[in-house]
Amino acid sequence: MQDARNFCIIAHIDHGKSTLADRLLEYTGTVTGKDLKEQVLDSMDLEKERGITIKSHPIRMAYRRPGGAQFVLNLIDTPGHVDFHYEVSRSLAACEGALLVVDAVQGVQAQTINNLYLALEHDLEIIPVINKIDLAAARTEFVTEQFVDLMGCDPDQILLVSAKTGQGVPELLEAICDRVPAPAGDPDAPAQALIFDSVFDSYVGAVAYVRMFDGRIAHRDVVRLCRGGDTYEVQELGWFRLARIPQKVLAAGEVGYIATGAKDVRNVRVGDTITLRDRPCAAPLPGYAVAKPMVFSGLYPTDNDDYDDLLDALQKLQLNDASLTWVKETSAALGFGFRCGFLGLLHMEIVQERLEREYDLDLICTLPNVEYEVLYRSGELVRVENPALLPGEREIAEIREPIVHASVITPKEYVGAVIQITLERRGVQTKMVYLDVERVNLEFDLPLSELVVDYYDKLKSVSRGYASLDYEYRRHQADNLVRLDLLINGDPVDALTCIVHRDNAYSWGLKLCQKLKELIPRQMFQVAIQAAIGTRVLARTTVKPFRKNVTAKCYGGDITRKRKLLEKQKEGKRRMKQVGSVEIPQEAFLAVLRVER
Amino acid sequence: MAGLYVHVPFCGSICSYCHFARTARHDPALRRRVVGAVVRELVLRQQRCAILSGGRRRLATAYVGGGTPSQLEPELIVELLAGTVGRLPAAADLEFTVEANPETLTADLAAAWRAAGVNRVSLGVQSLDPGVLRLLGRRCEPAAARRALDLACRTFARVSADWILGPGLARDRLLAELDEALDRGVEHLSLYILELHPGTALAAAVAAGRVRLAADGATEALYLACIEHLARRGFEQYEVSNFARPGRESRHNQAYWQGRPYLGLGPSASGFWGRRRYTNTADLAAYLAQVEAGAVPEAVTDPLDRAARRLEALVLPLRTRAGLPLRRLPRGALDLAQGEREGLWTIAGDCLRLTGRGYLRIDTIEARLAAAAG
Repeated sequence: MQDARNFCIIAHIDHGKSTLADRLLEYTGTVTGKDLKEQVLDSMDLEKERGITIKSHPIRMAYRRPGGAQFVLNLIDTPGHVDFHYEVSRSLAACEGALLVVDAVQGVQAQTINNLYLALEHDLEIIPVINKIDLAAARTEFVTEQFVDLMGCDPDQILLVSAKTGQGVPELLEAICDRVPAPAGDPDAPAQALIFDSVFDSYVGAVAYVRMFDGRIAHRDVVRLCRGGDTYEVQELGWFRLARIPQKVLAAGEVGYIATGAKDVRNVRVGDTITLRDRPCAAPLPGYAVAKPMVFSGLYPTDNDDYDDLLDALQKLQLNDASLTWVKETSAALGFGFRCGFLGLLHMEIVQERLEREYDLDLICTLPNVEYEVLYRSGELVRVENPALLPGEREIAEIREPIVHASVITPKEYVGAVIQITLERRGVQTKMVYLDVERVNLEFDLPLSELVVDYYDKLKSVSRGYASLDYEYRRHQADNLVRLDLLINGDPVDALTCIVHRDNAYSWGLKLCQKLKELIPRQMFQVAIQAAIGTRVLARTTVKPFRKNVTAKCYGGDITRKRKLLEKQKEGKRRMKQVGSVEIPQEAFLAVLRVER
Repeated sequence: MAGLYVHVPFCGSICSYCHFARTARHDPALRRRVVGAVVRELVLRQQRCAILSGGRRRLATAYVGGGTPSQLEPELIVELLAGTVGRLPAAADLEFTVEANPETLTADLAAAWRAAGVNRVSLGVQSLDPGVLRLLGRRCEPAAARRALDLACRTFARVSADWILGPGLARDRLLAELDEALDRGVEHLSLYILELHPGTALAAAVAAGRVRLAADGATEALYLACIEHLARRGFEQYEVSNFARPGRESRHNQAYWQGRPYLGLGPSASGFWGRRRYTNTADLAAYLAQVEAGAVPEAVTDPLDRAARRLEALVLPLRTRAGLPLRRLPRGALDLAQGEREGLWTIAGDCLRLTGRGYLRIDTIEARLAAAAG
C-alpha cells in the first residue's frame, strides 16, 4: 500500500485534462502502440466531440521510478462540468491527491477555484499544474502568480507541463509519487468501499467503481450496500486498465470495480458504501446524498408513434445515469411524453443529444424550467416542476423559486456588461474581488430559472467568451412570480406556459407573441396568439390566413407531381404539432428560449 | 371508356410565362418526323397492351394539346389524328378537342380539323388587352383573337377559351373581356391565375424588377369577382379554373379528376393506364430516338399503391363541384364548422364543396388532408 498513489485531475473545460491523462498513460506504458489515440479515457463520441468528460474514468498505471522502485498510480479522471459536481466530489473522496490543472493562456477560471475548494474540503494534497506552456501565448509567470495568490503555495511547487509535447510529464510523475500521500487504511478491518461511480454492463449488471478504504472484498463474497440495504454476491471484481481486469481480491487502498449483478444502477448509488454482509463495517463512509435534479424539461416524441421508443431509450440511458429522472406526462399540445429532471443545462443537452443521436429519436423539448415551491393559502406546500400544473392565482399564497449562488470570473473590461446582464435577470451582486490586475471575481445570488434560459450564452457573448461561470444551489426564496399562459386561438398551449416575474410578464408576453407570429406559418384560418395571466390578456397578435395559393392547373400530367409534392409535405408536417386546428412547427416550442429581453 | 391525350410540342414563339415542353425551332421535316413518331408510339403501346390492341376500350374523349397543335399544317394534323384517334375505337359521342392559338387558326385549318372529326376547339386567348398580351409574350393582336373566336364559333359546335388572371388588368375591363368572349359564342372558359415558374422569361423579369405583377390580394379579389360574374352569366364553376354552361363541361378534363384511365402520346405526355401513371420524356431528341429505336419513351413510371390511390381520391374530387364525400375525410383533418363559418366550403348531401374562397386556399387544405390521411 505504501507504493500506491490515488489521485485525480481537476481542471476547467479545455484546460487539457484529457490530453494530460493521455500523456500519463503513455509515459507509464499503460497504453502503447495502436491504443495510443487522443483522449483515451473519453470513450463516448459525445465526450470526444465536445472535448468534455461526462463519466468518471479510473485507470490503474504501473510506474517504475528512475531509481527502480515500482509504484501503482490510480488516476480517476473526473467530469469537468459544474453539472457533475456531485460525481466530482465523490471522485475526490476516493483520492489522496489532486492535480489542479490550469491553462497557461487562460489562467484561473471560476471552476478552478471551486474545484480547489472542493479538493481542500476533502483534505487532498494538491499539486498545481500549469499546462500548455508550449503555446506562444502562454503566460506562465502570470498564472504562477495567480496560483500563489490563490493557494498560498511556493512558486517552485508548481509544475510546468505541456501535455501536448510531453514536456514536464516525467517531473509530474515523480511529484505524484513524492507528494501524494500513500493511502491509509487497515486491510484487516471490516470492509469499507466507497462507490464513486457506477455503470451498467449488459453482461454483469450494475458495476460499482470503488475505492477500498478498509478491509478486503473477494470474488464471490456476499456484500451489502450500507444505505441501499441490498445484498449481492460479487460476480466479478478487479482493476481498471483500458478494460476491466478481473482479480481475486480488492484490498484497502486500492481502486477498482465490483460487479454486483444488480439489474439497475439506481440500486448501486454513487456515494454509498459497500461492506461485507457477514462482517459489516460499523458505519458507512460519509457524504452520501442522492443527486438532485435542478433543471426540468418536457421531452416529447415529434411523432406520437415513437413514444414507446422514447420510453425504452430513457430506460436504457438511466441504466448508466442514475441522476437522470423522469415521470410520464401528458400535454394537450404535445401528446404523451416525459418530464425529465437533470443536474443542469449541460446534462440536459447531453441527454437530449444522446436520445436523438444514439437512439435516432426526433424530439420536442420544452423550455427548461426549475422546481418551484408553491405555498397554498391553505398552508400546504407543493413542489411544482411543470409550470402548466401551477394552480390558479387565487389559491396561491406564495411561489418560491430556487436561488443559486453564481460565481463569475471575467477580465475587468467586461465587468460592467456582466453585471448588467445579471441584474437584468434579477441577480443580486454579493461580492466583487480583483483576483489580479486583470481578472475580477463577481458573485451573485441569481434565480436558477433565469440562469437556465440563456444566461450562460449571454455571459459568453458579452465577454467575448472569456468569462467563466460556476454556480451552486442555495435556497428557495419567494418572489412576485406569475404563471404566463400562451393561448392559440383561445386554447392555452401547456407546453409554452412559463413562470415569470410579474414585472417582466408584459414585455416577455409581447415578445413571445411576436416570436411565435414569425414562426407559425400562415394557415387555412386566422391564428390568434395571446399571452395572458389568468384571464387577463397582456399581449395579442394574429397570423393572417394563407393568401392565394391556388394551383391553377391540374390536368393529366400534373397529378403525379402534385401527389409527390403532398407526400413530401407530409414529411414536413411530421415536424409540426397540431394544436386545435393550428399547426405549430417544432421550433416554436423553443421560441421562448430565443426571445431577446 | 377512356381518354386520349396527344401532345404537339411546336410553337410559333415562346410565351414569357410558359414552362411546358415545346420548341419554337422547327421545320416541315421535323414536324413530319414528330408526327410519325407519335403515331409509332401508339403502335408500340398497342404491342405491349392487349386491351389497347384488342380495341376493348372505347375512346370517350380525345384531346390534342401542346405546344400549339395549330402549328401543324393541315395534312400533317390529319395524318396525326388518323394515326392516333383514328386507330382506336371511339364512342358515338366522342368529345374531340384540339387546342389552337388565335393567330394560327385559319379557315382552311379549321375546315380540315372539322373534316377529321374534331368537334371542340380550345382557344388560347389569354387576354384581349394589348399590354397584357405583350407582357405575356403573346404574338397575337386583340383583333386577331377576336377574328379567331368568331371563326371557331362559326366552325365548331363547342368552343372553349383560356384567360389569364394576374398581370394586373382592372376588374371591370377583365369582366368586359369575358363578356365579349361569351357574347361571341364561347360555351366554356378556363381561367388561370398566372403562375411564375422558375426558368421562364417572365419569372426573370419579375425577379429583376422589370415587371410588376398585381398583388396577391388584388388577384384574389379578381378571381372571386370572375366566379360571381360568370355565375350571373349562367357559367358554373365546375373546377378550380373551369367554367361552363351546364352540360358543356369538358368531359376530357373531368376524367382526370375522376380518376379515369387515359392514354398520353407525344413528348412530355402523361397517361394513367393499368393502375400506373407514366410521363414520357420531355426532351424532343430523346423522345424521337427512343421511339424510332422501338422503345416506349417513358421517363417516369409511377405505379399507384393503396396509399397513393387513397391520396388521389382525397385531393382530386376536392377540386371539383362534385366535392369530396365526407366519408372519405380523414378523422380530425378539417374543422368542418369553422370552414363553413368562414366561407371556405359548404357541406351538403354528405359532400364537402369548396367555395371560391376555399379554392384560393386549396393547396393548404390538400396538405392538411394528406397529412391527416397518414
